[in-house]
Amino acid sequence: MSDLTDRYVWAVLRAVPGDQRAGLEPEIRALVADAIEAHGEAESADAGERAALTELGDPDALAARYIGRPRYLIGPELYPTWRRLVGLILPIVVATAIVATVGAAWLGGQPSNRLVGTAVTAGINVAVQLLFWFTLAFAVLERAGHPSFGEQWSPDRLPELPRPSAPSVVEIALSVTGLVIGVLALVWQQDARPITIDGQSYPLLDGSLWSLWIPWFLAVVGLQCGLTLLRWARGGWTVPLATANLALNVAFLIPVLKLGQDGRLFDPGLVAALGRHGMTSALYPATVVIAVMAVVGTAWDVTNAFRQARRGRRPDETASPAA
Amino acid sequence: MDFDDILSAARQELRRGTVVLACLLVLRTPGYGYALLEELRGLGFAVDANTLYPLLRRLETQRMLVSEWNTQETRPRKFYRTSPEGERLAAELLADWGQVDASVRSLGQGGHP
Repeated sequence: MSDLTDRYVWAVLRAVPGDQRAGLEPEIRALVADAIEAHGEAESADAGERAALTELGDPDALAARYIGRPRYLIGPELYPTWRRLVGLILPIVVATAIVATVGAAWLGGQPSNRLVGTAVTAGINVAVQLLFWFTLAFAVLERAGHPSFGEQWSPDRLPELPRPSAPSVVEIALSVTGLVIGVLALVWQQDARPITIDGQSYPLLDGSLWSLWIPWFLAVVGLQCGLTLLRWARGGWTVPLATANLALNVAFLIPVLKLGQDGRLFDPGLVAALGRHGMTSALYPATVVIAVMAVVGTAWDVTNAFRQARRGRRPDETASPAA
Repeated sequence: MDFDDILSAARQELRRGTVVLACLLVLRTPGYGYALLEELRGLGFAVDANTLYPLLRRLETQRMLVSEWNTQETRPRKFYRTSPEGERLAAELLADWGQVDASVRSLGQGGHP
């Protein structure tokens, strides 16, 4: 026996619990010796030893088989649960983290052109962290034993067939993109001051709104993003989702209308400049038209959500028992 | 994947479950690990050393095999022998094997059991 055999035996034993080592060591040495002997008849001693150890294979694999430890991270019983939970939680957590981080960075005065980078970094960080810790937890469960955790599958868990009204990926992507563009436009108009009158440039909205109302609107928009993703996950509108949609729309529309009525919505400098050009009279009807359009649009969106939620219900939920 | 690969994979699958039974039957006469490995391979069981040895140890802890260190020869060797419990298990498995054999044969001849 040479150095190679000793190293092999050590490599097996180190992967075995201490109380089993003493019993296992002579056994493995005997196995190796027998294999060497059998190979040694045809080959040189060195080559025989090599062939014998190669035959026994990876010492970690051998040790794992001896102690019956799983040789995988997450086995077939836990894997479906792992996948379902990751699929459910990852999008929600990543979306929330992106909204929160970007919101914080932006309240902290980060220039808007760097917010996209912040969003991407935050998304990747959270996704990697979540996957790592989640997988680690499941790997521990796999080894600690999971008598009751492996959830019993039953036909109740079958997913619904896609509804005719189920939103497509494109529709969802467009919705989310629209909301993100809205947020960026809100930031951009303050930053770039796009309206120029008499050589003086103005933002569209009153800068003092940043202390409360614009962050409020951004939070609402962020929640709307989450709601859109949830709607996608559920395969369409449901009554709770439609109710949340109603709440978010109200949370957006009422403050906008109130601020508009109080004349606090637009930048005062802009209003004054328009007034110098005799356009204040035009501003009021324009605001009314926009407000009416917003109310009508919101009402349509909310009722449409409820209608689709009701239509999307399964027959057994809507059917009333025959008297 | 050509036919030979498919055949060898299917054949390995077919024989895998029979290794326990083969061990119990072979070890009615005491034997040590490497000799058993050679014998099983000679009989056409595709079994790896790093599968067989842990399997022997497991069967021992389950009391289907008993072991004894033989120190009479030049080197100490661990000899395994099928225990009475192991005989019982082998008899049950052998009966199963007979049933499977009969079923497969009757299917092969186009009949239905």
